[in-house]
Amino acid sequence: MADESKSTKSTTSHLYDGKTVRSSAPSRKKAAGRMKGNSDIPKDAIPEVHVPSVIESFFGGPIVSKTKFLPPDKMVTSLQMGAAMVLVILSAVTFMVTPVSGTAWFWLTNYLGLPFIGGIIHLALIAIGFIGGMYGIFQRDQRAILISYVILIIVTLRFAGSKVEFGLDLLPDNEIAQKLLLIIYALSLVMYIELTSGIIRFSMLDTSIRTGEVYVMNVTKITSRYHRALAITPTIAGFVALITLLINFIVPFIVGIFNAESAERLRESVELTSVYGVALGTAVVFLIIAGAFGANVPKRIAQMREK
Amino acid sequence: MAWSRKSAMFASLAVALYLMGLVLRNQQLVTVAVVLLSFLTWAAFRTAHADVSSSGRRIDDTAVTSGVALQNLVALRKLSSARVFEDGEVDVSLRIQNRSNLSKVLEVRDRVPEVMRIKKGANYVLMELGPQRETEIAYTIEAPLRGFYTIGPVCIRIQDTFGLFHNEREIHLYDDFLVFPKMEDIKDALIKSRVPKIFTGAVNIRNPGDGSNFYNLRDYVEGDSIKKVNWNATARTGGTMMVNEYERDAVSDIILIIDSRSVSETGPVSRNSLVYSTRAAASLAQYFLSRRDSVGLVIYSDEIVSVDRDTGKKQLYVLLTKLAGAMAKGNTPLRVVTNRIMPHINRGSPIILLSPLEDDPTIIDAVRDFRARNFDVTVLSPSSLEFEFDARRLDRTGYELLKTERDIIISEIRGLGAFVMDWEPDMLLETALSGARGF
Repeated sequence: MADESKSTKSTTSHLYDGKTVRSSAPSRKKAAGRMKGNSDIPKDAIPEVHVPSVIESFFGGPIVSKTKFLPPDKMVTSLQMGAAMVLVILSAVTFMVTPVSGTAWFWLTNYLGLPFIGGIIHLALIAIGFIGGMYGIFQRDQRAILISYVILIIVTLRFAGSKVEFGLDLLPDNEIAQKLLLIIYALSLVMYIELTSGIIRFSMLDTSIRTGEVYVMNVTKITSRYHRALAITPTIAGFVALITLLINFIVPFIVGIFNAESAERLRESVELTSVYGVALGTAVVFLIIAGAFGANVPKRIAQMREK
Repeated sequence: MAWSRKSAMFASLAVALYLMGLVLRNQQLVTVAVVLLSFLTWAAFRTAHADVSSSGRRIDDTAVTSGVALQNLVALRKLSSARVFEDGEVDVSLRIQNRSNLSKVLEVRDRVPEVMRIKKGANYVLMELGPQRETEIAYTIEAPLRGFYTIGPVCIRIQDTFGLFHNEREIHLYDDFLVFPKMEDIKDALIKSRVPKIFTGAVNIRNPGDGSNFYNLRDYVEGDSIKKVNWNATARTGGTMMVNEYERDAVSDIILIIDSRSVSETGPVSRNSLVYSTRAAASLAQYFLSRRDSVGLVIYSDEIVSVDRDTGKKQLYVLLTKLAGAMAKGNTPLRVVTNRIMPHINRGSPIILLSPLEDDPTIIDAVRDFRARNFDVTVLSPSSLEFEFDARRLDRTGYELLKTERDIIISEIRGLGAFVMDWEPDMLLETALSGARGF
């Protein structure tokens, strides 16, 4: 018996081991068996699908993600405090540097003969931006934060003259001081945007850590890098902005080396002190930066540092 | 270098404010735009990159795609085991080396198959890795479903502190492992049975037939061989001729046939006919091979994959490997399978068919062919209707209708002399087997 099975095995294994036979067409019997009088799709058979809205489709996904965060940790709390402080500064500076004149609501209320309403709207907008921002910061509500961004930018949308105008008369007339105030305003707005997005980023990270989705090694080193960047980056951005704003001093100074008369004419030029002068400064500064990128300087620096 | 949504928002806001500032002659807006652009430029400068346009290199050059900062990172992976059973665990240890002189903040994700569960540790790690340092990421994955799996690649991302730009690199490091179907211990259930174990291979089955062991005495009937006459017994009974009867030896070849057609995967991923069939086949194979029987396997889907009969532990691993790789596809009829294999298996061999008995009009004919050639057929049929009904994918009316259809098929197969068990999802394999054999 054993011999028989052994011999059978040795003679038949090559006949079907590993061989393939292709299938025939599928049967329709089951499909026919499933036919019912009512051909409606059962409700529980339809999966829940989030249909993106028109705006979401336009941006390629939800603008504000609906994330549920765990209670804030130390890092998030410190960012909240920092963002709140920056928002206070931003609201105050916005109020100082943004006069109501030239805004759309000023034009409308003036046209209706109620110019004080324009001022009230202006203040109300700043207040809404401030309150919405505070709510968004402490509730970590991205919608409220987004609304405050939009409102605090809308407040500054006004048709201005060539010269810098401020909302308060007691502010300095000195040109450099005025420009420094503008830079403080711009920096506080950008820092507010960065800090609030940092709150959301670190809340998401913290939630992911605590739910075990992500593991973080050397948390303190990572957060200290962020803190360091929060100090360095605005300083550099402020410096670049200062150069562009002070182009009406820099250009005459450089021209003055070659021709004092032309430099004097440039100093008195209205265009150079106006927004177009700033545009010229921006073009100069960013041309230099573009040149650096074109020459692949970032990569060369990185290679040098790596070695 | 890739842009994030945040950096895109910053850039578009800066451009919009800049243009509006020029149109409205508003220095405030222009200043905000300049600060935003400076922010972006600095971040881009820090996230040192190597663009195709600036370097002129081909896209398949890793330096181009991942940037300089990720070039000096090396990954090594080690698995605790390359073979596990379902619900088993694999310990993964991933070493990341930073061979540069700069410390880096890295996001490391070791890609694991979607069906795997991370039981301990994390495969997604955010870390600061010092210069010329290495670190080890350890995690444990649980493998809930049989199959061939691959861990990898290792995805590494480096980004600026504000999350504006990032560089990514995939380290093509892959490790394969195999998940065998889970086995149920069915040994006790069969040994304790008082009924003949006619499907257990080379053991006596307490049925009269050709064999060597004495079974009982009976009267001589015409046609019996004279060699079988027990003369002592004939003398004791006063002249009535008595013959010895012998037990029929069970054949030693067990053939397991697995239905792996597309229809066998009907139901949830972890609870369907194919999952149950492969687990049952693994358990049966282990049981029979431990009894020194030889076991063969046939898996039919869009093709017929067979493993020849053999014995021993090595055969068990061969069978488990084939079962691990069984994929639901195609619609090969059972009749094609039976026609193919029947000439090569010993007549009378027990055949165990694991099939949902659906969508195949040739099942009855195939079983009839087996029975006509005296094969001992046992059908274990995991009911896909139950899986679907439990998962609420089938309404009551549809379920009843299909159940009736299924009951008719089962009755017909039983009518052919095959043992059939309608295997419900919550039933243990040993219970199902006992039910099939009428124990």
